[in-house]
Amino acid sequence: MSQLGERFASAGEAQLSALLLAAVVAAGALLLVLVLGDWGARIATLYLMSLMGVLSLAVFTGNSGIVSFGHASFMGVGAYVSGILTMPAAIQQGALPHLPDVLAGHQLGLPLALVMVVIAGLVAGLVSGLPIARLSGSGASIATLAMLIIVHVLLIGARDITRGSQTFYGVPNLTTLSVALPIALAFVVIARLFKEMPFGLKLRAARENEVAAAASGVDLFAARYAGWVLSITMAAVAGAVYGHFLGAFSPKDFYFDLMFTMIAMLIVGGMLTVTGAVVGTALITGVIQVLRQVESGMDLGLVQVPVIFGLTQLGLGLALLFAIWRRPLGIAGLTELQLPLSGRRASVPAPAAVAPAPSQPARAGALEVRGLTKRFGGLVAAEDVSFQVDRGQIVGLIGPNGAGKTTIVNMICGQLAADAGQAHLDGRSLAGLSPSAIARAGLGRTFQAIRLFDRMTVLENVTVAALAVEPGPIAARVAAASLLERLEVIGDVTRLAGTLPYGARRRLEIARALALKPRYLLLDEPAAGMNPAETDALVGTLSRIRDDFGLGLLVIEHDLRLIMRLCDRIVVVNKGQRIAVGTPDEVRRDEKVIEAYIGRRKDRPQAVPA
Amino acid sequence: MTISKRLLGSGAAVAVVLALAGPASGEDFRIGIATAQTGGLAFADQPSLLGFQLAVEEINAKGGLAGKHRIVLDIKDTRTDTAATVQAAQELVAAGVKVLITPCDADPSIAAGQISQPAKIPTLTFCGSTPTIPGAVGDYMFGTFPADNYQAAVLGAFAAEKGYKSAYILKSPDSAYTLKLPEYFAEVFKKKGGAVVGEGSYTLGQQNFAAEVTKIQTLNPAPDVIMTAAYEPDFPAFIKQLRAAGVSTPVLGSDGVDSPTTLGLGSVVDGLVHSTGGFPAEGTPLAAFYAKWKEKTGKEPETIYVATGYEVGYIIDAAVTAAGSTEGPAIREALANLADLQLVTGKVTYAGSNRMPLRDVTLVEVRDGKKSLVKRATPDPADVPAP
Repeated sequence: MSQLGERFASAGEAQLSALLLAAVVAAGALLLVLVLGDWGARIATLYLMSLMGVLSLAVFTGNSGIVSFGHASFMGVGAYVSGILTMPAAIQQGALPHLPDVLAGHQLGLPLALVMVVIAGLVAGLVSGLPIARLSGSGASIATLAMLIIVHVLLIGARDITRGSQTFYGVPNLTTLSVALPIALAFVVIARLFKEMPFGLKLRAARENEVAAAASGVDLFAARYAGWVLSITMAAVAGAVYGHFLGAFSPKDFYFDLMFTMIAMLIVGGMLTVTGAVVGTALITGVIQVLRQVESGMDLGLVQVPVIFGLTQLGLGLALLFAIWRRPLGIAGLTELQLPLSGRRASVPAPAAVAPAPSQPARAGALEVRGLTKRFGGLVAAEDVSFQVDRGQIVGLIGPNGAGKTTIVNMICGQLAADAGQAHLDGRSLAGLSPSAIARAGLGRTFQAIRLFDRMTVLENVTVAALAVEPGPIAARVAAASLLERLEVIGDVTRLAGTLPYGARRRLEIARALALKPRYLLLDEPAAGMNPAETDALVGTLSRIRDDFGLGLLVIEHDLRLIMRLCDRIVVVNKGQRIAVGTPDEVRRDEKVIEAYIGRRKDRPQAVPA
Repeated sequence: MTISKRLLGSGAAVAVVLALAGPASGEDFRIGIATAQTGGLAFADQPSLLGFQLAVEEINAKGGLAGKHRIVLDIKDTRTDTAATVQAAQELVAAGVKVLITPCDADPSIAAGQISQPAKIPTLTFCGSTPTIPGAVGDYMFGTFPADNYQAAVLGAFAAEKGYKSAYILKSPDSAYTLKLPEYFAEVFKKKGGAVVGEGSYTLGQQNFAAEVTKIQTLNPAPDVIMTAAYEPDFPAFIKQLRAAGVSTPVLGSDGVDSPTTLGLGSVVDGLVHSTGGFPAEGTPLAAFYAKWKEKTGKEPETIYVATGYEVGYIIDAAVTAAGSTEGPAIREALANLADLQLVTGKVTYAGSNRMPLRDVTLVEVRDGKKSLVKRATPDPADVPAP
């Protein structure tokens, strides 16, 4: 007991939450058995089976935000694999006379068959994930829909192995409560922990803001691929369990109807949390089970309730409508089930445990921009722009609206391919690198319109970026926490980033960029929307960052007062061309700059305001 | 926390319901019905159940099965979902039903049968016509409707009799019915000297048959007949587009098109010949049944499934009477040996038929929104393709 207590004490919040959630599921299932006996056990088994499917879906869809329509057919793959491997040889000879010898006559037990299902699921996930992980948003959703259809057609086409569209029968009915319960509990724990693991964090970051995730060093493909493969492997296992419940099925049992049921369960409960999957599945299973009892007609002594078939479907529809109307994010919303007391303590690793990262001494090196050129059709957005940001220097990039500043920034960060020219980071060319690779190479950035991972905590926001450079997830968490403390972003790091006030959002974005341990930092209009007092504070912060971290800073700004006070050197662009470069004093007196900002005066040149 | 509360709440509600429902009396004969009263299969399971309930009413009015065992029905909607069918079958088996009725489809029927088989409960599918259903489950599983291969045998023989030499078959791999029935037909037709000159494939729910129609138009030589087991919504789409393209080749269909929809299609279905479970020609028992049904409900049955569902009640009655017992094994034995049982659509024989009944297949022709009898035939066992 004390050992367990110790484990709980040392376990993180996520582990606790996972165990708690699993305990609630187990308690619910066992309670059903206690109250309703065999009948309750059957309902519990149904619930746990649905839960497995929904959790497999939640691992990908919940974390990536990409609604998958493909999982049902991968459940089919698992069902067929396990069905073939466990089928009694006598039945198999009758049902599948043309089964290839490799597959025939194994008569495996369920555990061994499930191992093979896991392997099959892995292979199916690895193959199907290649196209899907390259896509995002609705494009990826459509790709999963294509997967549903492709796998369905393959299952029907492989007639020797699956009996095609004919019923595949003779699958041993092995799915009992004692089989479904441990697997479902394992699924709860896996799904809950995956959320907090590096790939889960990165996947959620990509869900919240793809561009910012890439700029935080997240390899979008890798994150989605990992999530998909795990998710599909789980789907195959869930399908195998489902198959052993059905005993007889055909590909149509693993098609749209099953898919929509699972998606409905997930969305009603809340796509963003594992708790949501658990609750949504429970709610829908509960509604179905109660209504199907009612609709079969009852003799209540005095009153005879008539048989009204269709009540289940109708009630289910109404429940869905009501749940989504009242709780658009699902019943669970954004919060996972957790012990009320555990919260704060466990979520903030003590930064004192690890000394703050020592300031990196400013070494030689530079971010060099050489001849960057970009044309959009006939419009020249940037033409042969060159400048340099040395380590330890703050360089301002200014110019009137439409001068091409954003285009230049996007080319440096890899969001836009340059027509000519390239950027170099300490001599290394960045040409052809993805935004995330450039971020990992040592160039952090912030955005003009703040891009945070709104439905993730402050700590998670920074941890995602820290994962790119720290040796492990715990080190990343600790590094993130210490950085947050150093930059005095906000007291409560467990707050959701979307709930922060403006100034804190700006600071958080800078902290996230710094978590990459960059050598250069690109700040896109950091003072936008700030009042003079806040701008003054920002000047102090940025100078301190430069000194503490030995960074080279490139600041894009409209606020000339800020630029003149902050920068060592200033690059001025207009109409896509660099028109001046030099110290603030030099630039202020530059005729071309004055002309660009104020317009030509016949009599005498006027200085740009100090 | 919310979860366990919710589960507990629903569980408690259900428990109350169950307690109040109360057990049936000792002499009653409980029949479990796990069929799809909603969803995609309802078109067949609903009328089957209505017919069956009338039979039960009549049988109970005469004292029950074998004149003494009053029937109590335990009806569950499976919502055209195989998992829901399994759950319903588990519950009904646990509730001690003596006979189980399953939906008009192979998947749920076999899945349910695999649960009732070990419990030695005779199980009948309403109108599941896939011939492999009984074999897949075991000796307690019975079909009741003319099987796909019997229908195909009669259709194939009919095509040969009409002098058709070449056929085009349109099938869909999406379901066993739409795939296998045309394949059985092709087998019979070839055995009788015909040739299959082309095959088309479609997806269930496909709206556009332009490619298939073009393929048929360009066949050289043109086929004498087109055979398909498509049903709505595919069949109406196909036949409209086929006739609109000017193709007047005769079309043969199966019992899936035996619905009011087909009759409402107008001139495009004139001349369509399809197989079905029976036809109420004047003076036949089926005509008498239709009259009785009309008197009771105010309208004619819309599909043959009402009659075939009605017959299932009397098949069970005959088996229980012959068994002289209400025990599963005795009823199974009696059922498997039933022979020449006269019912409303014709005679039914299980003896020697591997639990898929030998019974007449009826061919009807559609013209001017009405059906007329082409022939009633018992398939020649030599013609019937192996399932």
